[in-house]
Amino acid sequence: MKNRLEELRKDRGINQEELAAALGVSRQTIGSLENGRYNPSILLAFKIARYFGRSIEEIFVYGEEGK
Amino acid sequence: MKKNNLGLLLILAGAVLACIGLYLIHAQEDAQGILRVLPFVCIGAGCGIFGHGVGDMANRWAMRKHPELERQMQIEKDDERNIAISNRAKAKAYDGMLFVLAALMVSFALMGADMAVVLLLVFAYLFIVGEFIYYLNKYQKEM
Repeated sequence: MKNRLEELRKDRGINQEELAAALGVSRQTIGSLENGRYNPSILLAFKIARYFGRSIEEIFVYGEEGK
Repeated sequence: MKKNNLGLLLILAGAVLACIGLYLIHAQEDAQGILRVLPFVCIGAGCGIFGHGVGDMANRWAMRKHPELERQMQIEKDDERNIAISNRAKAKAYDGMLFVLAALMVSFALMGADMAVVLLLVFAYLFIVGEFIYYLNKYQKEM
């Protein structure tokens, strides 16, 4: 699954630590999400979507090849 | 406050247990069977519990002075990725443990070890597998 997390974070002008603190997760989790190594739970996906004021589909792009 | 009390309780329980062990060593000079080992088990367990309590209290004391660090540690502990990694590592270790236990049982049986030892290993193995099946059923009903 691909995502636009890094792009959205940079647009907002915050670093990984700040995003991690806002979402209540570790900085490593943000790094792994941005690299596509880790797929978030539905709860975290909702938190991220709510934080950026977008829908989950706008941030996370489902793709069969990325399973 | 309750958690602080738990640390204190552990320290006290550990100290009391270790003291009982020391007392038993002096009180029973010609002890036989299990009573010969019991004092040392008491001292060992007492020291372990005491150390755990002291560590717990020291941790709380240090965290009280650095609330930001405490918050960060709580985030690391509750982090869903960390939990997923930990659970995956435990699952791998469980698979490995079953293999090791099975190999140990066969080895002991082939070495002609005492039947009680082999049976203890078999019961431990069955207990672990039984616990696995129990939680499998429990979580299937819950999820």
